[in-house]
Amino acid sequence: MQTFLQYTILGLAIGGSYFIAASGLVVTYTTSGIFNFAQGAIAMLAVFTYWQFRWGWNWPAPLALLMVLGVLAPLLGAALYQVVMKNLRGTSEVTKIIVPIGVMLGFQALATWVWNPTSSTPRQFQKFFGPNAFVHFGSIKVSWHEIIAFVIAIAIAVGIRLLFVRTRSGVAMRAVVDDPELLQLNGGRPERLAMISWAGGSFLAALAGILIQPMIGSAMSAGQLTLLVIDAFAAAMFGRLRSLPRTLAGALVIGLTTTYVIAYFPSKWTWSSSFRNSLPMIFLFIVLIVLPQDRLRGATVLRLRERFRMPSIRTAWIAGLVLMVVVFCLKVIMERTAVNTLTLALTFAIIALSLVLLTGFAGEINLAALSFGAIAVIVVYHFGTTGSGTDARTTLWGILLAAVVTALVGAVIALPALRLRGLYLALATMAFGVFVSRMVLTERNERDIFGLKFTIFTAGQLTIPKPKIGPFDFNSPDAFLFLCAGLFVIIGIGMVYLRHSGYGRRLAAMKDSPAASATLGMSVVRLKLSIFMMSAAIAGIGGVMMAAQIGTVNSDRFDILLSLSLMMITVVGGIGYISGALFAGLFLIAFVQMLDLTLKKFAVDYSSLEAIFLFFVSAVTVLPATIGITMGKNPSGAVSDIVNGLDQIKQSKSLVITLVGLEAAIWALTATDVITNWHFVILTMINLFIVPVIGGKVLLARAMRGVPKPVPPELIGIDRPFTSDDLAEMDRALDLEGVVVPSAGTVREGATGVSA
Amino acid sequence: MSLLETVDVKVKFGGNVALNDVSISVEAGSVTGLIGPNGAGKTTLFNTITGLQPLTSGKIVFNGKDVTKEPPHKRTRMGLARTFQRLELFTSLSVRDNVRVAGEIRNRWSFRTTRMDVNAETDRIIMLVGLADVADREVGEIPTGQARVVELARALMIQPTLLLLDEPASGQTEEETEQFGELLKDLARNDGLGICLVEHDMALVMKVCETIHVLDFGTIISSGTAEYVRNDPTVIDAYLGSPESVG
Repeated sequence: MQTFLQYTILGLAIGGSYFIAASGLVVTYTTSGIFNFAQGAIAMLAVFTYWQFRWGWNWPAPLALLMVLGVLAPLLGAALYQVVMKNLRGTSEVTKIIVPIGVMLGFQALATWVWNPTSSTPRQFQKFFGPNAFVHFGSIKVSWHEIIAFVIAIAIAVGIRLLFVRTRSGVAMRAVVDDPELLQLNGGRPERLAMISWAGGSFLAALAGILIQPMIGSAMSAGQLTLLVIDAFAAAMFGRLRSLPRTLAGALVIGLTTTYVIAYFPSKWTWSSSFRNSLPMIFLFIVLIVLPQDRLRGATVLRLRERFRMPSIRTAWIAGLVLMVVVFCLKVIMERTAVNTLTLALTFAIIALSLVLLTGFAGEINLAALSFGAIAVIVVYHFGTTGSGTDARTTLWGILLAAVVTALVGAVIALPALRLRGLYLALATMAFGVFVSRMVLTERNERDIFGLKFTIFTAGQLTIPKPKIGPFDFNSPDAFLFLCAGLFVIIGIGMVYLRHSGYGRRLAAMKDSPAASATLGMSVVRLKLSIFMMSAAIAGIGGVMMAAQIGTVNSDRFDILLSLSLMMITVVGGIGYISGALFAGLFLIAFVQMLDLTLKKFAVDYSSLEAIFLFFVSAVTVLPATIGITMGKNPSGAVSDIVNGLDQIKQSKSLVITLVGLEAAIWALTATDVITNWHFVILTMINLFIVPVIGGKVLLARAMRGVPKPVPPELIGIDRPFTSDDLAEMDRALDLEGVVVPSAGTVREGATGVSA
Repeated sequence: MSLLETVDVKVKFGGNVALNDVSISVEAGSVTGLIGPNGAGKTTLFNTITGLQPLTSGKIVFNGKDVTKEPPHKRTRMGLARTFQRLELFTSLSVRDNVRVAGEIRNRWSFRTTRMDVNAETDRIIMLVGLADVADREVGEIPTGQARVVELARALMIQPTLLLLDEPASGQTEEETEQFGELLKDLARNDGLGICLVEHDMALVMKVCETIHVLDFGTIISSGTAEYVRNDPTVIDAYLGSPESVG
């Protein structure tokens, strides 16, 4: 009985803290329509900042609290809204999900940068009034901290409820998301209200973080705190992102169940701690299954700002060929380590293709691509290899089996969420990703499953050999590089074919308007399911290739944060394009690594400036997230910008010849060892990015010489007189050709008269 | 038996009654008008008929079958098509592909009975509604008036027996509207389609509709021929405001 009461109180306190974080989610979602994936990251930042004030600099607790909760957290929230989230109006659901994820990854990287996790002195985070402040109720003792957490949760529940129902600004806040324009017409100020609610949401996140950190009883970890938000997600889902009482109920149930699992599961059950960690995910899944079906919606905005143009099949073949040639040329000049990096980048590009297929073509979201890769790797490890030692090879059947299993797992994950909006599928996949990391990849004990002795993740790492398909052995690095490049090209071209097929058009229809598709008789769920399975299979194949390239993989390789980064960078590259996937792989693996190596090389070469270069090394870790955050401004992605730029270059033959010629020369110099690889990279960058800009300017200047600057149409007649050409042009534009206007003569005279 | 009947359809949004016991019917081979001031509940009624909006009470009978509990795509497969007032075009596809994909979707669900030659049918429908000039353009680039015709073409591709048109003529030029009216009459008369038309262009409504229902504040206030409705004092009040309510 005593244990029961003790754990009930702890459960209520933890659940209460979950509720505080979840209520912040509900508030920001209700007023801005953006689901704040960064809620956990804000909590994490608050915990670290509070620690810094309270124990790092020994401030008194009230001052530290006031600074974090009263000043910094609300400021952060308001700034987030003003700088980042405000720009998301009129973008697609994908962008609305990706940008907060970018913020989350950014905060995560920032915290690791500022508060070095490998620091020698462990950071102690204590409960309020110290670790020994207890109250005794009969035989049980409860810490003040737990009581405070629970009381604050209840107070906040009542407070927000009153705010939303009773006060004028609360009602206005609820109106913001329904129809901001209408609210504005009625004298409300949606932007300001949304900003205030973000400040409030951020405050709630910070409060939840500071309350919960000492109760979970582990060391401060940026990753763990950031992902703690999943518990809050589950609670918020329980209230369907609207109802606060139900959110509170959900949070308390989660809090209580997790503590009861600790209390009552026999300690010989080795999986009970991973089960406890996975509980919120399991809970989230159950909630998704029982949630009633959403109403089908049309396009929420009239015209999305994202636009993707599909290349023709011919262009796809040419591009594929060019890619193979480029890979070959690079292979010739590159060192072994660089070849490995390029291969790894290509395997990530294959995984990113699965995202392009799912998100770019069908508008659905998978936030755990690498977790599907993990499933495939486990299948290949157990069933898909032959031989042993250096003769071990992955078989074609192993890869295919892995693809099929991943597709089936994908179906199981997606099925409950497919009836629901894209956001719910995104959350379901994220829950799955965390579940895989915490429950599946921690399975290192032998289990007796249906009489089958089995260890899922042997010794915490799996070795995947290179594949051998029929007579072709891909064991050598070069052969495997070409296999990966070829696989990327084949899947990519296949996807272009798919997009041009009836199936692809139906996908586009479903993405653009689910409501219209349904009223044309489409069963949306079945189509969504098929595309999700296909995408999961590609992610699986990519994952196997990735593991085969690395050789031996541990669970870190499939971390959810890595999946999120990949998703984000693919969106940055252009989620609607095959080239967006290539961009993602190259950027995430090759570019970041190259930048990192270059900066470290500088730091060694110029030791007096070491500190500056090492600063930039850290800055590189924040770079992907920073780019992700800018998506609100340019939702179509970077590749589309580059392609648009190339279109202008293509106009001029001489410029194209110059570019290709220069690049060939650089390549030849490298191939003959006149310059190093490192110079090759730098010169190539200059050639590809700077020469076109300068060349374009020169060409434009030359073309413009002698040609008078065009006068904008509205200034004709003011800056220069009307010419007969202008008049003919106007007639044509107004469709007046052949129309006899009686007063035409006078009008024309009048017009010339003005300019005379 | 009417092609479509709504029986005492009621829809509440919170405390607001959007539709209050609305009963209308649409006959095969004729054009039925549904008119009323803005916010009267016309689009909501369309949404209930197509299954996008659940009912609070009442039922929808289509082809003699109670379809109230059927999801939207099942109703479409029974022969129900619609256009949207707020355009729901597939913006990543060209005009032709917007029309074509409708046929492809149809072939997916009717493959056991009648499979159509999608390309030929697409060409025929595009000619029929007069979109040949813009067929290869991006659907986001064409003017609203023509975009509404794309919606119509798309709906026709599934070879419906009942067509619900939500303000199809708004944004069209006078000339386009003229042709559009003729097309609707042809579709009803020659192909035996039942058409329900929501429209603010009274000239068009009066010209093509055999029966007109007038909706105001979620209630049907008048039903009858164009002549009857035009002279019904309650309708005139609804549109112009009753003399008592002035001042």
